[in-house]
Amino acid sequence: MGILDYFKPVSTWPPDRVRQFLDQKSPQEYNLVDVRTPKEYEQEHLPGARLIPVGELETRWKELDRNKPTITY
Amino acid sequence: MRSRAAAAVLAREGFKEAYSMEGGIRAWKGLRAAGAPDAGMAYFEPGKKPEEMIALAWMLEEGSCKFYKEMGIREKSPEAVALFQGLWGDEEKHKSSLFEIYQRLSGKDSDPDFPRSLVALESGDDFLEGGIGLKKALEWSRGKDLKDILEFSISLEVNAIDLYIKMEREVEGKPPKEIFLALSNQERNHLKRLSAALEKD
Repeated sequence: MGILDYFKPVSTWPPDRVRQFLDQKSPQEYNLVDVRTPKEYEQEHLPGARLIPVGELETRWKELDRNKPTITY
Repeated sequence: MRSRAAAAVLAREGFKEAYSMEGGIRAWKGLRAAGAPDAGMAYFEPGKKPEEMIALAWMLEEGSCKFYKEMGIREKSPEAVALFQGLWGDEEKHKSSLFEIYQRLSGKDSDPDFPRSLVALESGDDFLEGGIGLKKALEWSRGKDLKDILEFSISLEVNAIDLYIKMEREVEGKPPKEIFLALSNQERNHLKRLSAALEKD
């Protein structure tokens, strides 16, 4: 991941929208990705979130189905 | 910031819809689960068998059953008694559904060693959804008021949902996938009932 990835325009969702989305959907219909560290994940995470630390995403995004809506936090 | 960068990477890799949650987990007002990514599944060697996951889920349901049963006996208010009895009854049904899947997978009608032979646990204690020991939970619950018990139960259910979503993702085969999905939805319903009770209390 390049430094420029930090400055690219990305779509964002407010937490309320995420919550509504997760409430309405079945877990198979989306990817929910926690991109923090394993330690942070262990302390607390959104139910059902996958852990892929941001530094590993470059190689591990293939674990996700890119046709599904994907939420990162 | 990390989350935005992550969404940018995904967008670049061809994800049509990648959203970064504004404010990260600090802004999240919903419930949170705890534990390592493989929490609850850590008892297994890599390449967990579906039977092993079913057995672990069964044990956690059993622990939660006992906890809710105890709370149903102990609580005084009719609403609380009805709530805990309902939850207990559901967890019993979950156990039966899990055992049926186990029978299908293993081809055994009965198995006196189920589930312990499949789950390598050193302790003989029962475990609750979320991986907390039953004895510890019951000791803790003594002298606690209903609000504390409800909050604790909510955290159990959140961890159960978390675990079942992960199990559904990891497990191979349609019947186990289906049951874990169904269980995650039913525990979501429990969460709603417990949260409603907490709001009223």
